[in-house]
Amino acid sequence: MFKQMRVWFVLTIILSLLALGSSCSKQGTNEASPDTNSTASTGKTYASKGDEGTVTGAVAFNGTPPAPKKIDTSADPVCGQANPNLVTEDTMAREGKLANVFVYIKDGATVDGTKVGDYTFATPTDAAVLDQKGCHYVPHVMGVQANQKVRITNSDPTQHNVHPTPRVNPEWNQTQANGAAPIEKSFARPEVLIPVKCNQHPWMKSYIGVLKHPFYAVSGEDGAFTIKGVPPGTYTVAAWHEKGGPNGTEKTMQVTVAANGSGKADFAFGDAASASSRPGGLQMMPALELPMIVRH
Amino acid sequence: MTDSPEASELSEPRAVATGSLVKKEPEVPAHDPIVSRSTSGIMLLCALLLTASLVWALWDETFGQRPWKGTQQEFVTRYTRYLKSIKPQAGKTEAEVKESVEYQTLDAEAKAAQEQVRPETAEIDRKVAQIQKQLDAVTDPFQNQRGRLTVINYNVETAKGSAKEKYRKQAEEKRQEVVEVELPAPDGSGKTITQRMNYEQLEKFYNDLREEKARILGRKAELLKQPTELAKKRDDYLRHHMIGLGPGQIDGLIRKMDNFDYSILGHQISANESDIVDRCEVCHVGIREPLNIRPADLAPEGPGKKPDSLARAFVSHPNRELLQIHNPDRFGCSSCHWGNGRATTSDVKGHGRHKYWLWPLFERENIEAGCQQCHAKDRVTQGAETLNLGRDLFDQRGCVGCHRYEGFDRETDTLSGTRQSTTQLEDQIIGNEKQIRQDTEAANQAADDAEAQRLLAHAESLRVSNSLLAARIDQLSLQSKYLMQDQKKIGPNLKDIRLKLRKEWVPIWLKDPQGFRPGTKMPTFWRFGVDRDGDEQIRAISAYLWQESFSGKVQDQARGDAAQGKELFETRGCLGCHSIGDSESSIGGTFAANLQRVGEKSNFEYIVRWIHNPRERWAPYCPKEKRDLTADDYSKNNKPYVFDTELNSRCPNDGAELQVQNMTVMPNFRLTDRDARDIASYLFSLSSPPAYPDASFMDDPNLKEKGHGLIKQYGCASCHEIKGFEEEQRIGKELTVEGATPIERLDFALLTHDAEKGHDPLKLHGDHSEKPWYNHKGFFEHKLVEPSIYDQGKEKDPKDRLRMPKPYLTPEWRNALTTFLLGSVGTEGSNVPASLFYNPQDQRRQDVQNGWWVIKKYNCMGCHEIQVGQRSVLMDVPVYQTPEGKDLLPPRLTSEGARVDPTWLLRFLNDPSMSDQKGPAAEPATNTTSLSVGTPGGNRKAQANGGNAGIEPETQSSGGLKVQPGQDRNGVRSYLKARMPTFNFSSNELQTLVRFFMALSGQQEPYIKEPLQPLTEQEKLVARQMFTSGTPCLKCHITGEPTHDEKAIAPSFLLAGERLKPDWTFRWLLDPAQIDPGTAMPSGLFRKEGDRWVINLPNPPASANEYSQDHADLLVRYMLSLTPEEQRRLLATSPVQPAGSASSQTQGSLRRKSNENVTKKIRKNRRPPTIARTGGRANTRAPGM
Repeated sequence: MFKQMRVWFVLTIILSLLALGSSCSKQGTNEASPDTNSTASTGKTYASKGDEGTVTGAVAFNGTPPAPKKIDTSADPVCGQANPNLVTEDTMAREGKLANVFVYIKDGATVDGTKVGDYTFATPTDAAVLDQKGCHYVPHVMGVQANQKVRITNSDPTQHNVHPTPRVNPEWNQTQANGAAPIEKSFARPEVLIPVKCNQHPWMKSYIGVLKHPFYAVSGEDGAFTIKGVPPGTYTVAAWHEKGGPNGTEKTMQVTVAANGSGKADFAFGDAASASSRPGGLQMMPALELPMIVRH
Repeated sequence: MTDSPEASELSEPRAVATGSLVKKEPEVPAHDPIVSRSTSGIMLLCALLLTASLVWALWDETFGQRPWKGTQQEFVTRYTRYLKSIKPQAGKTEAEVKESVEYQTLDAEAKAAQEQVRPETAEIDRKVAQIQKQLDAVTDPFQNQRGRLTVINYNVETAKGSAKEKYRKQAEEKRQEVVEVELPAPDGSGKTITQRMNYEQLEKFYNDLREEKARILGRKAELLKQPTELAKKRDDYLRHHMIGLGPGQIDGLIRKMDNFDYSILGHQISANESDIVDRCEVCHVGIREPLNIRPADLAPEGPGKKPDSLARAFVSHPNRELLQIHNPDRFGCSSCHWGNGRATTSDVKGHGRHKYWLWPLFERENIEAGCQQCHAKDRVTQGAETLNLGRDLFDQRGCVGCHRYEGFDRETDTLSGTRQSTTQLEDQIIGNEKQIRQDTEAANQAADDAEAQRLLAHAESLRVSNSLLAARIDQLSLQSKYLMQDQKKIGPNLKDIRLKLRKEWVPIWLKDPQGFRPGTKMPTFWRFGVDRDGDEQIRAISAYLWQESFSGKVQDQARGDAAQGKELFETRGCLGCHSIGDSESSIGGTFAANLQRVGEKSNFEYIVRWIHNPRERWAPYCPKEKRDLTADDYSKNNKPYVFDTELNSRCPNDGAELQVQNMTVMPNFRLTDRDARDIASYLFSLSSPPAYPDASFMDDPNLKEKGHGLIKQYGCASCHEIKGFEEEQRIGKELTVEGATPIERLDFALLTHDAEKGHDPLKLHGDHSEKPWYNHKGFFEHKLVEPSIYDQGKEKDPKDRLRMPKPYLTPEWRNALTTFLLGSVGTEGSNVPASLFYNPQDQRRQDVQNGWWVIKKYNCMGCHEIQVGQRSVLMDVPVYQTPEGKDLLPPRLTSEGARVDPTWLLRFLNDPSMSDQKGPAAEPATNTTSLSVGTPGGNRKAQANGGNAGIEPETQSSGGLKVQPGQDRNGVRSYLKARMPTFNFSSNELQTLVRFFMALSGQQEPYIKEPLQPLTEQEKLVARQMFTSGTPCLKCHITGEPTHDEKAIAPSFLLAGERLKPDWTFRWLLDPAQIDPGTAMPSGLFRKEGDRWVINLPNPPASANEYSQDHADLLVRYMLSLTPEEQRRLLATSPVQPAGSASSQTQGSLRRKSNENVTKKIRKNRRPPTIARTGGRANTRAPGM
């Protein structure tokens, strides 16, 4: 019996020690391999396939456009001399057509179902130019791709200050004397649209639309626009005009582009269209859904 | 265990034996169960039990008591996995930085410098090696000889008599002894040369070698200095530009995980100073990791996946900055978070979630209660936004009206103290006078001259003491004047209701204030359904208030232009405090009332008068006589019926300081009476009064007495001025240490059981939450939301019911107030010693906290950004959302103390219109800050500054409203539509504010102006050219020329000399956006050239090119010494000179005392300052600078 007990006791001790030992041993074996997917970019790089089409259309203006107002340039006589016929540019409508409307692909997917926002687009190497000439910004509305250089030049015999007031990009305000070298800047984050002003000449205004992709256009004096190189797919096309609310007015429509085809998107602003318009849409507009690519 | 088998074996046979004597029958005892039955089964069972308990004991010791072990293992696994996953990215970042041009340049520079000195350092290294060889060869022989000599010398010292001489001789011999030294050949061939030297030569040789070595090594260090510095610069660049950790650092962390210390002690914090031992980091292992660990990073299924509760426990501290200020090694964790820092057996225990644990862990939403524990004396604790909101609400929503809280309501507390001291001093004076009489009397009758002299001297010293006491009373009386000026009530003055309100509206309002104006500060007092006598009480209170208010009539006012009023209302700054619009769509601040329905309740005339000057009181109140004075009080003393804060603040009867203003924080916007009428008309256009039920009972004198009692009971006078209640005390419980009240003394009444079981009648945390709320948090929250909740089901006499009315509270506000109360624990309730409390001794921090009380009191942050990153109310108002609107925001004050001269700031705060600096046309008698209540009708033409020149100020006030000094103008930024109002601060508050701004910007107090280097003629020429040709400063800045100033967007340079500090101005010129992001002033006006800043122009003026000093500095000096004459000169030469040159009409507003001062400073004695004042008109001579 004693023998039995001893056996039990010894057994118990051994068992306990074993248990203890195993519990204390390190769990070094089940280390998972790092998840490489999570850090990689989720977007695939966009590559042209050669079957791209276009989105074309015209922007109409219904009703009587407000007559352009003459700008009082007395604060800077140089402007009066350089451009005596300076007028307001907020509604550039002629014969029922509206210029300076920024049209762009806001959302949608290519035929293979990939969302536009999920692609990565190469940044253009050439800079977009914004000139200050005759005391106004030329062009009045323009688009650039994110990180694309914007070269701002001063062709006036007076001093300007270039002052973009973005919401989701850093704000800056740079002086540019006559004859000074161009200012080169870029905007890293998509934003439709960034107002640019000049504090010395309060009438000077320009808008820069920053997009991740190159699918945008600005309507010309005849209201027409063409977005080129659009891969086949179905998209939400948006047209933005500066009037109508503190952040302008935006209208959208669905457009399908066939391979090598052309999608049609006609927009209308002005009186009759105002019922369906969405003033101040900018604030509510979700930015293109772009997943965070870089993890810090 | 051991005894049972033997024992039974011994006793059993005996029992059998005795049994056999009695009973012969052998009843087959063969099968004795005790001896024959096997006990092995039981034994086995016991053994098993024993084993089991041993196993359990061991298991418990290893795991049960150490659940954290598994947690730590889990952390190590997950963290290692995470680190490995981020390593490639870190490597990429490092590579990117290394590829950058800047890094490459630095690297090249460092390497080039290294290369440059390489030949010389190599030569040095060679020489050193050579010397070292010789040194090695000589060291041993030299040291041996020296040792021997030391021994001999010791012998000399210890020997006696002739032995001394013997040893001396021996030493001399030793010195002369020649030793052979094997020196390496200088050609480095490896051969040796033998040299013979005596001790002296040896010593010299040895020392020379060492000196030489030190010398050339010093030379090497000198040579390497530059390369080392450059290399450091390069490495610093890498360090500063790497976002996150580098791959090397991550490897270090992985190694750390490989050698993880699985123990308590390795993760325990012992903070001796606060007597805290915290083991929180035993489980929260990642808290102080150098990486920002987010829950998803350590998810059980790998980084980026869905986090579990452990992953949330493993995160790093979300506020690293806070940990730097409150180093856990000094403060521990539980000092801020509470909980039971020593417990490690379960999270529930560690978090102190037990009814009787005094410091349970604060819930996440109340986490800032921990700040309040030590920061109870702060008004604003940076970073603790919830807590700050709680304090704001407690102060501004009127809680402090009924509940005392130490430090809050400073004016009332101090004022009563001041009055008490005054009474004491007065008594003392009377006592002294009595003593003087006695002494004098006694001196007359004194027995001898010495005694008489002593008594007379005593009487004399008492007289002197009395004069000192009188001086102190004067000071106290001045203080009480200031304090009365600063003392405010959050509710309106109810003595005015007959003048102000529609009678029938009063009971409607009392019954349901939230119904009439959602979100109002006025709480709901009656719970209809429970309070059956509610209506009756309302009638009584209304009657008392109506009958006890001023009778009289406000002067008639004509209606104005509502559209213009709307524009004014939205742009003058009203929205910084007030909101407008129905509750869902309202815009503006919540500091003051929503004004949408003013038209339904008020008299138009009263509102016009109020908007015009809200501080204008109907009649002064005398705290000494405890009544409102009337015109009779003045006339019987032959004084005009005039009262204001300046010269007429004393009672005509007894000279006591009067309450001469309305006790509102609303400032005076210096509006014209037309603007006041327009704004009032706009407000009245928003609503029209409906037909209210008859309220003639309010004139029933029988109701008055009952009303008096009820007003007392409900504490109405906490927030309102009410006749007969001016000296009313607080009716609520003091809450300074409410959070430390023992839980059993918080009266949950009949809800105790519900609270413990988690049944929540109010469903504060959602329908399904069954969390027990029998704790402080639960008590406070329920009390705040439904103050009468603990009366539920109680049988009480109406007057014994809980008196606290139901306030308007958003869930956010409820949480903020709860946080504030939870943290209000005082010294006793705190879990750290009071020595750790934040109690700043330095003047700067005290100034900041004192200032916050005033800043918050007047809601300066409604219009201004004062703390970096804080948003003002106006910033979110629609008018200011457009790019143009942003330029019209009131100035950002984050660097105000560094920007302006404190003397100037004091003057500006006293009178933001700066109308004390008038031209000769202004009437000298005009009193800057006087309320001009009752002063004879305004007849002076207010100075309209350039920017507002379009609005012609009214010269005649119709409607009996006085034209105010500085009417309709801003002192500095006349181009802004928002108006910096006159707050009528007392001298105390002015000083507090100035000190606040100075302290916030870390400025030295007092400020002593450094004299500016005067400009030479040459410098003036350069400065003028820079001012006009390249950077046309006067294009945007106010010049005083009206047509120009209509479009100006920046302050006048003529103010700069007195207003601005030079070093701030210098930094401002270099990069304004850094000081004020979004400013209209552009960056890039100067560029760096070597060590100096030069004007950034493609074709700078020739004179500037020749000027070899700092251009920005020159411009600062020029600006700060600019005179009106100099500015005119600039305007005359400037290409941007607008049509219609500066004419005499602007001279008044142009000339400021500032110019005079600057002129004096810069050009002492050159010309009398009086010329500066009048010089503008005729003086055309070239300025002397």
